Amino acid sequence: MATVTTMPTHKRSRELFVRLSAYLTILVALVVTLFPVYWIAANSFKFDIDIFAVPPEWLPRHPTLKHYDEAFIQRPFLRYALNSFLVAMGTTVVSVGFGTMAGYALARFSYPWQWRKQISFWILSTRMMPPIVSIIPLYLFFNYFDMLNTKSALIIAYTAFNLPFATWMMKSYFQDLPVELEEAAIVDGDTRWGAFLHVALPLARPGLAATAIFCLIISWNEFLLSLIITLTEQSQTLPIGIAGRVTQYKTYWGEISAAGFMACVPIVIFAFIVQKHLVRGLSLGAVKG
Amino acid sequence: MLKADNGTLMAQLRTGRGLERWVERHLRILMLAPTVLILLTLTIFPSVYMFYAAVHKISPNPDLPWEFVGSGNFARLLSDGQFHVALRNTIIFTVLAVTAEFLLGLGLALLLDKYIRRLTFLKTVLMIPMMLPPIAVAITWKIIYEPQFGVLNEIMFRLGLPLQAWAGDANLAMFSIIVADVWQWTPFIFLLMLAGLASLPVEPYEAAALDGASSWRQFWDLTLPFLKPVIAIALLLRVMDALRLFDLVFILTGGGPADRTKVLSLYVYQVAYRFADTGYAAAISLFVLFATIILSTWFMKRMRLAE
Repeated sequence: MATVTTMPTHKRSRELFVRLSAYLTILVALVVTLFPVYWIAANSFKFDIDIFAVPPEWLPRHPTLKHYDEAFIQRPFLRYALNSFLVAMGTTVVSVGFGTMAGYALARFSYPWQWRKQISFWILSTRMMPPIVSIIPLYLFFNYFDMLNTKSALIIAYTAFNLPFATWMMKSYFQDLPVELEEAAIVDGDTRWGAFLHVALPLARPGLAATAIFCLIISWNEFLLSLIITLTEQSQTLPIGIAGRVTQYKTYWGEISAAGFMACVPIVIFAFIVQKHLVRGLSLGAVKG
Repeated sequence: MLKADNGTLMAQLRTGRGLERWVERHLRILMLAPTVLILLTLTIFPSVYMFYAAVHKISPNPDLPWEFVGSGNFARLLSDGQFHVALRNTIIFTVLAVTAEFLLGLGLALLLDKYIRRLTFLKTVLMIPMMLPPIAVAITWKIIYEPQFGVLNEIMFRLGLPLQAWAGDANLAMFSIIVADVWQWTPFIFLLMLAGLASLPVEPYEAAALDGASSWRQFWDLTLPFLKPVIAIALLLRVMDALRLFDLVFILTGGGPADRTKVLSLYVYQVAYRFADTGYAAAISLFVLFATIILSTWFMKRMRLAE
């Protein structure tokens, strides 16, 4: 490896150029990434008149919580947020619970006729199904069982795409664990199920937490299915509430900024909690970051 | 791979209790069964039901019986101009958005690979857009694109460029949707490419450098082939996502102006709920389903992702 002193000048200045442009790029990327997020936050703290200001008011000069009061106290956004939370929790418990077992089975057991591969692939393919495809049958189905406008219906619908995700994630985490520890537990007298419960599961805890948080994020963000299934305040989620304030005649900018920003806050916190697992989570376990 | 039978046998010798023995013996089925059954119910049932709905004319009045029309709804696909517009818009959006995200994401990753590898915090900050609720992203860009007081027109004004209606302009609406989508999803490509670059082996590059290969040649002959599996996964996931675009369009343009941003998801939604033509909506969704299956299978085969 050449040291700096022996490096020819043109090479050194080229290196400096690359380094500088890299830092500059990071800076630009940061500004472009963060400005829209900042802007929705800033607008949520402005009076209407300042939101409409031309040229725009880059910093809220008269910060106010008026729109938070409008959205969360006067209008039912707190209810929407609670619905979002409950649905996300329900979906996560169901998906991670069953998905962990299925992921473990697919990572560890052998099945006849290549079923392991076939079933894994089929589960993945259900994740690829566009939600628009299932809205009509789901709508008719929930209508038939009188379940429209219920949170249970949302949980069932969301499970359809969170369960394959959880299965694949957990499969990938279990595949990373050394099998010998479970074998040792079985030799020591544990059952096969016991080895899963007492050895594999505790070891997979970070993966389990990451998978659960991803399921929470996916459910929290979902829009289309909720738009179809829920029409009443008692069951509608936050994204539906926000979209409902963008009407043909008027857009309630302050209110949707406040609610939109509040919808983003938990997600940003979650993103930092799972930062080490982002790559794997976003590629369904296919790429290990 | 662990031999399940060993453990099962030993456990049986030791515990001997009926239920526990039965559970042990059938564990590999029992652990997998709930997920398979749930997913079968949630995917096979809707698909079969859709076939059934797609060959009927379904009146908005729930008391009227469904009228069997055979392939009538599918024949309508061929002559329905709105459907062709939606299909075209979806293809345009998918190709342009995913290409832009791929080039930008890969480019950024290549440039920053050396400098950002261990900066988890910085990486996470750059990742924020794609985690956010798409509806929140949509209203954020709605505020930015707002023709009267939006930030974008302020920038245009300062640069001395003509002000635009952005999402409200027939020629710029699709572009506006694409920009918002690129903002949200370039980080996804960027993150996966960084992970791919971080796992590249060192030796081939040392050998190539000894042979005097230019960095351009190294990129084409080493980096790209090594990255291929990661690129394949990233593109597959992005294309699947782009094909189902709904939220951004629903908020930013509602499919307009003049149907310029009407995409397939939105069209199915409109046919099903605004026009209450459930049978025909089912036929369009089936088309989307088959297109997705064919495209993803082809893609996975081609990229040898089947494993």
